[in-house]
Amino acid sequence: MKAGASGSRVAAAKGVAFTKSPVLAVRLPDWRSRVVLFVLFAAFAALAGRALWVQAMDNQFLQKKGASRYMRTEELAATRGKIFDRNGMVLASSLPVKSVSAFTEDIKGTPPEKLRELARLLEMPEADLLKKLGSDRSYVYLKRQVEMDVIAKIDKLDIDGLDTRKEYKRFYPQGEVMTHMVGFTNVEDVGQEAMELAQQKALAGQPGSRRVIKDRLGRIVEDVGMQREPHDGKDLHLSVDSKLQYIAFNSVKDAVEKFHAKAGAAVVIDVHTGEVLALANWPTYDPNNRAHLTGEQLRNRVITDTFEPGSTLKPFTVALAMDKGLIKPTTLFDTGTRPYMTGGHPIRDTHPHGVIDVSTIIQKSSNIGTTKISEMLTAQEMWQMFTKVGFGQAPRYGFPGAAAGRVRPYKSWPIVAKANMSFGQGISMSLLQLAHAWLIFARDGDIIPLSFQKVTEKPVGQQIISPKTAAQMRTMVESVVGPGGTAPQAQIAGYRAGGKTGTAQKVIDGRYSQTHYVGNFAGMVPMSNPRFVIAVMIDDASGPVHTGGGVAAPTFAVLAANALRAANVPPDSTVTDIIIPEHPLEESN
Amino acid sequence: MSGKLNVVLTTLLVGCALSVVNARYQRNHLVNDLEKLASQQRQLDIDWAQLQLDQSTLGKNERIEQIARTELNMAPLSPARTQYLMEGAR
Repeated sequence: MKAGASGSRVAAAKGVAFTKSPVLAVRLPDWRSRVVLFVLFAAFAALAGRALWVQAMDNQFLQKKGASRYMRTEELAATRGKIFDRNGMVLASSLPVKSVSAFTEDIKGTPPEKLRELARLLEMPEADLLKKLGSDRSYVYLKRQVEMDVIAKIDKLDIDGLDTRKEYKRFYPQGEVMTHMVGFTNVEDVGQEAMELAQQKALAGQPGSRRVIKDRLGRIVEDVGMQREPHDGKDLHLSVDSKLQYIAFNSVKDAVEKFHAKAGAAVVIDVHTGEVLALANWPTYDPNNRAHLTGEQLRNRVITDTFEPGSTLKPFTVALAMDKGLIKPTTLFDTGTRPYMTGGHPIRDTHPHGVIDVSTIIQKSSNIGTTKISEMLTAQEMWQMFTKVGFGQAPRYGFPGAAAGRVRPYKSWPIVAKANMSFGQGISMSLLQLAHAWLIFARDGDIIPLSFQKVTEKPVGQQIISPKTAAQMRTMVESVVGPGGTAPQAQIAGYRAGGKTGTAQKVIDGRYSQTHYVGNFAGMVPMSNPRFVIAVMIDDASGPVHTGGGVAAPTFAVLAANALRAANVPPDSTVTDIIIPEHPLEESN
Repeated sequence: MSGKLNVVLTTLLVGCALSVVNARYQRNHLVNDLEKLASQQRQLDIDWAQLQLDQSTLGKNERIEQIARTELNMAPLSPARTQYLMEGAR
């Protein structure tokens, strides 16, 4: 039984116990297990090495892959700086708008009534819209600079394949009144005209970007860091005064219509700071709607157009002679009754004045008188005077397109040139240069730089003539505005005014036209303590009057009266009744 | 002794780990709040610009003059009907 029991656990054939089976006794060679062990070890080592390599040594790739799953680059927009007038009124400001564009493939299935509604919201004919959508390109702009309230309505239409992108639009609330001062930007927010162009660098913002980590709901949970710092554009505070600008603009506009002129312009300068307070042009344009813009509308006649001013320049020659001690206001000159010959050319006065003193030469605007005074001066002296007050010099106003005007070098002046220039012919300048030069009379003989931006520091002047000469000249130009002068229509009720008229024949095809004139007036108010220098130019008045005294002087009076009132300047004259002679004296040219 | 220390340290470690998690959670919330406020600030800036623009548009001299003339029947003052008050004058 025992043997039987043990025999059941023994292989019957061989009679050997399992544990003693020779098969089990076969030993594998030792090296095989070592090889397996080594291979396993090597494989693990390779894995560890690889892990070390991708995680510690060359970890950039994986980190980048990882980051791209939760990090985002966010664009940081920068707005263009605002433009303000001197009182903090906004003249130009950018607001976010959106551009509307479409993926042409995706939008194909849109029902036509939705497209009709879209066309209506975008204010474009449906045919135009369909043409754009039918284009070969896969992505087309439908309309740029669409305002946000319209975008909200478009979003409600829920059209597939429509794409909106954020951009900025520039708004000009003061419109056509201020546009020649402010200018405008194009659709890319780059300045194109006037101060928008001149100050492009300062106004333009610098957009930036940063890296952020967003969570599942798209909320930013970590600000990783700035890639590029965004910089908003700097705000610009101009010297212009909205109120005065409006007054100047209306005076010019009314004058152009009243005198049937081709164009008109006016500029108001602050005597104490040299700031340009108003700069008006007619014709003009609306910067918010520039679809049908012409060159005539764009032209800034105050700054970029030059003209021969005529008699408005007489005070400069006379002041120079007085400053050199050659004449006094009371010095008498015989202006005769017939044309006066100089260098073979006749110089004429419209009315014979006979023997008159220097004050009367200015008051009556005698060409022969100033010619005789100019003969006492050398060409070089006159040239220096003109150059010092800025004529023919490249202006440094920081305004694009500012004209330099033309003063010929004195060495090439013919004999008659001195005479011509003494009454403002053969020399050209912009209205702004003329007004700027007039500062020497309004101030105590010195000239300060002009500024289109608000001035905070007292400007430093350059002395051109003595304070005494300037005072004497002020008395003379005040008499011009009196009943005996050439510009009685420049009188202002309640205020003392002074100035000088000029009527220049336009140069057409290289010759002085006998039918086309530029009437201009440069003056200052109030005479007791000049506050504004104002220059007005009326181009090619085709009505019955065309002279500076007839068209520009009354425009000056309207402008100055309203400007003084708007600026709260106290009246310096008790005279409230204006005496304008029935047939005012006409000037010589 | 060393067993007790281990328990204390482990508890400390777990506590620290949890507080790190908590701090991160708090941070995410605060960053989110900050972003919300920043975008609110941007929106307020835009509103401010819009209001300035409206002020300028509505306060346009042209508009004021037109309203004054047509709706309020006002006329510009003229020196003829102006009385100037001077100090010392009668």
